[in-house]
Amino acid sequence: MSGQPIVSALAMTVEERPSDRVAALFDAHHQRIYRLARRLTARADDALDLVQETFLRAARAPKSVPVGAEQEEAWLVRVLINLRRDQWRRAAVQRRHDAIAAPQLRAEPDHGPAVIARTTVWRALDRLPPRRRAVVVMHELEGLAVSTIASQLGISAITVRWHVSAGRRDLARVLASRHGDYE
Amino acid sequence: MKIVSDLLRQADPLNDDLRRLDEARDQIRRTVVTAASVARPRVPRRKAALGAAGALAAALIVVGLLVGLGDRGTLRAAVRFEMRLAEAQPIPGLIVARVADSGRVIYLHPETIVTNEDIAQSWVIQDGPDRFSVSVEFLPAGAERMRQATAIHLGHPVAILIDGEVVIAPIVRSAISDSAAITGDYTRAEAERIASGVGIR
Repeated sequence: MSGQPIVSALAMTVEERPSDRVAALFDAHHQRIYRLARRLTARADDALDLVQETFLRAARAPKSVPVGAEQEEAWLVRVLINLRRDQWRRAAVQRRHDAIAAPQLRAEPDHGPAVIARTTVWRALDRLPPRRRAVVVMHELEGLAVSTIASQLGISAITVRWHVSAGRRDLARVLASRHGDYE
Repeated sequence: MKIVSDLLRQADPLNDDLRRLDEARDQIRRTVVTAASVARPRVPRRKAALGAAGALAAALIVVGLLVGLGDRGTLRAAVRFEMRLAEAQPIPGLIVARVADSGRVIYLHPETIVTNEDIAQSWVIQDGPDRFSVSVEFLPAGAERMRQATAIHLGHPVAILIDGEVVIAPIVRSAISDSAAITGDYTRAEAERIASGVGIR
């Protein structure tokens, strides 16, 4: 008799408390979720809010989180990106409202070249739609394979490659308009 | 030609920002675990009660409650809860109010966005050894009203009133939707009274 049936039987008879499940989920995945959240947002505080909201979704419906480390991570990543997408849409509406209500000129603060370069890159990233930005970040900064990204986001590998390619092109276009040629 | 990938890596905010997670980790974990440990929502229980026998039982309970509360005529919340948009500067037509803890003066819009009727559930959160706050989660209709109201109110205060008193008036930084926290430096007993009281409609 193999060990597998015993594990299955235990899983069926020992019911984990929701708070224990969520605590374990948080401990296992919060660093990964924060890293992604931080690279999808402009400020650390925004990233922390996203992390909390992502795990609160799990806390409110722990049974909807699939079992298994990879499945949990993929579920959390998808929730995070959906939350970010909702924020992005609301912010876009607000920006349009602000632009109509009170068009203003903003002075750029006087920073050094490194800060300006960094700000330029992240402003360019801010212009990407959230899912495309997530794909670019996961591929370029987290070094994840296309197949892994596809699995985590629940989309096809072809779609991932398309987002990577289109994201690079979008970024290069924005950066080139300000600081010369990029590829 | 510069490479976009290289620029992204050089500009990565995580290069110097991971410590922020270390500072906030415990508080986020506590909030999340507390939310998971709360006795769970009324909505599923209400759905379960709408079976054939459940519907009859629910009808009998409603009749019993109305008879039992006949002297008051209506069901009343034990703790009256409401949220309103507010302004930091005076505007004609708004209501002057003072925030309980700070004494700060704000100006309330006359319309309420959500009340006890809109709360799906509420629970106590421990902020420190002797400090407690209350978190409330809204039903979908209330959450949608909150989202619409606060999305166009960024940078202005929103007031939480308990029994007619403004207990906190945070500035809206992003649209608030399905939940809100009432942080008033409460004792456990006070927080529990509010948490159990606001949920009674």
